[in-house]
Amino acid sequence: MSEQSVSPEPIDPGSSWASRRRRGIAGWGDPRGRRLGGWAFILNRLTGLGVLLYLSFHLVVLSLLARGPSAWDGFVSLAGSPIFLCFDVVLIFGLLFHGLNGIRVTLVGFGLVVDRQRAMLVALMVIGAIALVVAALHIFAAG
Amino acid sequence: MAQLEQPPAGHGGPGWTPSGETARPTWGWIAQAITGAFVLVLVTLHMIANHFIVAGGLRDFADVVAYLSNPVVVVLEVCFLVAVTWHGLLGLRAVLFDFGLSRRVETAITRVFTVLGLAIVAYGLWLTWTITSYH
Repeated sequence: MSEQSVSPEPIDPGSSWASRRRRGIAGWGDPRGRRLGGWAFILNRLTGLGVLLYLSFHLVVLSLLARGPSAWDGFVSLAGSPIFLCFDVVLIFGLLFHGLNGIRVTLVGFGLVVDRQRAMLVALMVIGAIALVVAALHIFAAG
Repeated sequence: MAQLEQPPAGHGGPGWTPSGETARPTWGWIAQAITGAFVLVLVTLHMIANHFIVAGGLRDFADVVAYLSNPVVVVLEVCFLVAVTWHGLLGLRAVLFDFGLSRRVETAITRVFTVLGLAIVAYGLWLTWTITSYH
């Protein structure tokens, strides 16, 4: 198969995926010439890195449990503050986008619903937006 | 392979090679897809069980100990830890590989991440054992 038939933007070789990948982080972060799926790719990586950063903090915070009830329960009362709740909503956004977009990436990667991936992305993002609003309302109501 | 608007994933996925030729999915891409599916299910369970059905959104110490006294919960949480650690480190590895590193550096990253992943899972197991010992 020729590169012409695989490259998503064959007209401009500088913005082809082969070129983007060769340029490393400057390539995958380059906003020029991107379509919907390209933006989803950037956001997928950013949310993935963000969630990974959160998980690192999460593991450190969980070590408070090993120090007994007073250490953990002190943190629990702090975690109910509005700033923590805002971070929770950002986390839910990251999880929803990364998880739902991951479904599309996996299906398309295995050759399924390739010709419907744009519609699938839009549908998944609508589901994600509704879930985010419901989660945010729950978080602030419970917090 | 059908013409794609974008490559399917940033993990050496099918149809995405620097030369533009069609490629078979790499082991990393397949592992990422499988662990991703597990994480999707387990993180949903984790968030609902630990945050959304809990008053105030977070269990206090006594509640955490009671929660982990259920062996099914322990198995699910440990599976979640393994899947999310694997998926996260494999994803970070894919991002780093896109810097166009030498094969030697890529091998070193894979080894370091394998050790790091095992250490994280060991830490999680130790923490779970420590908490359940309060029961």
